[in-house]
Amino acid sequence: MNTATVSPPAPARGDVQGHDAEVRFRQRGRDIQALAPVSLALAPGSFTSVIGPSGCGKSTLLNAIAGFTPLSSGSLQVDGAIVSGPSPRVGVMFQQYALFPWFTAAGNVEFALKRFGLPRAERRTAALQALDEVGLSGKADHHPGQLSGGMRQRVALARTLAARPDVLLMDEPFGALDAQTRLAMQELLLRIWEARRTTVLFITHDIDEALLLSDRVLVMSAAPGRFIDDLAIDSPRPRSVEQIDATYIARRNHLLRLLRDAH
Amino acid sequence: MNHSIARVAQLGVSLGLVLVLWSAASLAGWLNPDFVPAPGTILHAALEQYQEGVLMADLAISLKRSAVGFALGAVLGVVLGLLTARLRPVGYTLHPLLNILRPIPAIALAPLAIVWFGIGEPSKYFLITYTVFLAVWLNTDHGASQIAPTYIRASRSLGAGTWREFFEVVVPAAAPHIVSGLRLGAALAFLSLVAAELTGASSGIGYRIQESRQFFRTDRMFVGLIELGLLGGLLDFVFVQISRRLVHWEQS
Repeated sequence: MNTATVSPPAPARGDVQGHDAEVRFRQRGRDIQALAPVSLALAPGSFTSVIGPSGCGKSTLLNAIAGFTPLSSGSLQVDGAIVSGPSPRVGVMFQQYALFPWFTAAGNVEFALKRFGLPRAERRTAALQALDEVGLSGKADHHPGQLSGGMRQRVALARTLAARPDVLLMDEPFGALDAQTRLAMQELLLRIWEARRTTVLFITHDIDEALLLSDRVLVMSAAPGRFIDDLAIDSPRPRSVEQIDATYIARRNHLLRLLRDAH
Repeated sequence: MNHSIARVAQLGVSLGLVLVLWSAASLAGWLNPDFVPAPGTILHAALEQYQEGVLMADLAISLKRSAVGFALGAVLGVVLGLLTARLRPVGYTLHPLLNILRPIPAIALAPLAIVWFGIGEPSKYFLITYTVFLAVWLNTDHGASQIAPTYIRASRSLGAGTWREFFEVVVPAAAPHIVSGLRLGAALAFLSLVAAELTGASSGIGYRIQESRQFFRTDRMFVGLIELGLLGGLLDFVFVQISRRLVHWEQS
């Protein structure tokens, strides 16, 4: 974006709108509904978690917003543009195995930076900065195979953010990590998100994770999944994993009950 | 480093034991020297061939044929394998052909190659190229069609275009399969080399084995067989060393 020219302030980016978005496909002659028609609106800069039983369609919803899975009916829009395929404006962080093992940590981040057409040296510097931001300075020239699970997800986060997405979709990104690494990653994500305010849609199985991170928690029912609750989490930010009070416990119990009944 | 020393030691023990047993059996008179000559006799035959100049000349021409055939077959196989795996219409048209060509061994093609290309070098190149090409095509196609969808999704949502996706994601993701196809191709290059040289050649290791049969020189036949074994083994060793560095991430 050229800042030298005088232009009206750009509207906040990362606005996601879904109207009756539905995904169906045929498998061995049977019609499968992977996502029942759902409508949702994610405000620019908001952090929304989706929890729900396995197979309810939450990953399908994420894949549809990412442009990986086409809709059978309804519509999905990001900043007013219909989602028609993957786009760098919508970043995705996968649960695991998404880093390119043939590139180094810096190489993976540079892969995302290449779309900006920077000179080689500048690109490298930007990649090192991005790795520094996730606490991985000194690991730039390691290959993913030489890094721990937590470090790999740090690289994955740095890579996804390096493409400067307006919307960040995360599909249980910390699901495969041990409890301690998971906490460290949650705090890192909070710190980075609070600085950048990218719109986030975060899928998780973990109620505590959803309560810690989100502005909103959407609860999906068992398949065919529909949103059965939309809970605003207004606890002040910055938050940390140590903040547990009566409101927190009440919300936690409420969500637990919903999930138990959703089965 | 210690690992490779251990490998050399293992090779020494294995070959040494065979040589000792073989020599002992020959000395004891258990082996008919007309059929299985003693190791010393074979070494003598090798020296004789070396002095005649045919040993090095055969090695050189056989290596050249294998190298040319391998290079042509490898390039064709990798290119076509990537195309059949990643371009739907190309794959649709050529996959059935692959399954029909696969069972045809190089030796069955040798007479046809001579009719097409004469008994000169081109018919040898053709046979070796064909064999290497099939193996490399098959493996490349397999590797490039089994790329984890997550890699492709990640690449596209990070804004990579078709070309960048192809060269920075598809090719490296298929590389381990391509490399094992090339390794198999290198071994097959030697097999088809012999097929080519046994029929209508006037030089090369395969030809020398055939020629020795006419003079009932089993010792010289063994020289050829040992040359093929050592050369193939050495080539494979070098290949594994190179491919370890090439697809280093497969190790971890």
